[in-house]
Amino acid sequence: MPLCAFRARTVTKKGEPMALGSRWDRLTRSEAFNGYVLVSPTAIYAILMLAAPLATIVAYSFFKDGYLTIIREFTLENYITTWTDPVFRAVMLRSLMVSAMVTAATVLLAFPIAYYVSFHVPASRKARWLFLITIPFWTSYLIRVFLWKVILGYNGVINSGLMNLGLIDEPLTFILYNVNSIVLTLAHAYAPFAILPIFVALEKIDRALLEAGQDLGESRLMTFWRVTLPLAMPGVVAAVLIVFIPTIGDYVTPQLIGGGKIPMVANLIQARMLDLDNKPMGSAIAVSAMAIVTLVSLIFLFMNRRFLRGQR
Amino acid sequence: MTTRPPMIEFQDVHKYYGDYHALRGITATIRAGEFFSLLGPSGCGKTTLLRTIAGFEGISSGAVMIDGKHMAHVPANKRPTNMVFQSYAIFPHLSVAENVGFGLRRDPRSAAEKIRAVDEALEMVGLKGYGNRAAHALSGGQRQRVALARALILKPKVLLLDEPLSALDKKMREQMQVELIKLQRQVGITFVLVTHDQEEALVMSDRIAVMFEGEIAQLDDPETLYRRPNSRRVADFIGVMNFLPAKVTGESNGHISIEAGGLGQVDIEAAQAPGKISGGEAWVGFRPETLTILYEGQTAMDRETPGTVEEVVYYGDMTYYDVRLDGVDRPVRISMRNVFGRPVLDIGTRTRVAWSPGALVLFR
Repeated sequence: MPLCAFRARTVTKKGEPMALGSRWDRLTRSEAFNGYVLVSPTAIYAILMLAAPLATIVAYSFFKDGYLTIIREFTLENYITTWTDPVFRAVMLRSLMVSAMVTAATVLLAFPIAYYVSFHVPASRKARWLFLITIPFWTSYLIRVFLWKVILGYNGVINSGLMNLGLIDEPLTFILYNVNSIVLTLAHAYAPFAILPIFVALEKIDRALLEAGQDLGESRLMTFWRVTLPLAMPGVVAAVLIVFIPTIGDYVTPQLIGGGKIPMVANLIQARMLDLDNKPMGSAIAVSAMAIVTLVSLIFLFMNRRFLRGQR
Repeated sequence: MTTRPPMIEFQDVHKYYGDYHALRGITATIRAGEFFSLLGPSGCGKTTLLRTIAGFEGISSGAVMIDGKHMAHVPANKRPTNMVFQSYAIFPHLSVAENVGFGLRRDPRSAAEKIRAVDEALEMVGLKGYGNRAAHALSGGQRQRVALARALILKPKVLLLDEPLSALDKKMREQMQVELIKLQRQVGITFVLVTHDQEEALVMSDRIAVMFEGEIAQLDDPETLYRRPNSRRVADFIGVMNFLPAKVTGESNGHISIEAGGLGQVDIEAAQAPGKISGGEAWVGFRPETLTILYEGQTAMDRETPGTVEEVVYYGDMTYYDVRLDGVDRPVRISMRNVFGRPVLDIGTRTRVAWSPGALVLFR
């Protein structure tokens, strides 16, 4: 799986007698020390930029809100309010739904592409294909979202095009500012993230296994179903998580493409935190959303555990 | 031996990959119940030929028949053949039992009967009780047994083996050779083995097709192939063969007179020239074990030529000597079994070598 952790490798000079130096000398020569030195820039960055803010959010969520100030007193009030709030429940449910739709659309569309590149593109041209797949990343995410707005808008490319062709009399209204357009935009944005892990999983499949499947009496379709798909599942699982987890917290697309009319959970957090300046409440929603995403992801991993067991 | 009916027939099979002519007019018959080997160096087309039987490779012209039926429009999954792949192709996501039972999905038998069939197949290859193991945790030899069981459980008419022993160490390989022969006799299925190892082919096969550059150079039983190779190339590929230049000086009713290297005038039988000889320049070949170094007091049964030991290679049970025979312009290799009481000769020793015209083979 491509989700593997960063692993530091250090080299110690073998055969060199250990100098009878101070403890410091011995420490700096140890493999563990060298390892820490190598990972420390990344580790420090991760702690400062990820772990510390996260800890702050978790701490805030248990504090009382004093309107414009925060009262440092432990309370569960924020969570009780959040979980009994019908708005939170509706928005969270919508976020899960949209995210699930985006994930399903992205992975289902990504699989044939990954399959094609892995199985039908000659080895010498695979690198070129992967390069082409990453082209959407050349433009910033924000600009791409804006461009979708231009394409899907009331006077956008699609509507004016169809009207000029005389196929429609009035602009279509169901293509912007609704869930469909959010799904479309997000699916496009995350497609490469889904294609690459599936491609990697498919590349690892020994082609002789597919011949073996046919040799043992199965058609190409059944061989795909019984051999290719199960072996590609680690890649599919990775793709699902890589798409599902960030999309559920996406802020920009619902704001711009959804026109703010269909807020997702990130928009709700933003409203509570900044618009209403209720940091503890916003934090409680954020932590709750994180817990739900974690739970859903774990359930998904558990359901697919048989595909993820150690294979070579 | 009664002639068995044909199981696989190749009729002028050609295969092109673009401009590359991989199979150049293969015509051969593999008989039912036979252990047949395709032997040749890498790139000779032996694996391609095997894959045309399995249906993984189409042919450009000609015909492949299995059990009397044309295979032109029969896909791999509908052919009465099963294959043991070089990499074994064990499904890593399935257990041993699931691997072995993979091909039974459409078998009409009940689940309990299928489980019993899987157990029997595992027992046949010596993996009783391994059913629940994860396939990826097996050793190379065990994987190969699973691949065998997985193929044989479907009772194919032909079992195809693509260099199945090449990934095993020497001891394991020799053990598996014997087991495969026993298994083949037990199940009576036609086995077609692809190998580049001439010794393996000689040990295991009823008949061997030696292939070079997309053509069958010779198709014979192991003994004929070894004793009467039909070309220098086949002779050189199978075992060790000494070659000396020769001249054909006369031919008459089943006999050929030759002037062999520096060995003098020799009369041999026509059968000792399996390839076509058209008079004049030729080569005479003889195996290292057909020559004997004589010790003090021994006399030759047939011919005898003095010579000098130039090189000694000691193998434990055997010693190889390179001996320059008087009158011959190059050393010949002689293999001698090391017997108790007979010391290994030193380099430079003068000796006498016994040989027999009946052991010679004449080549163009």
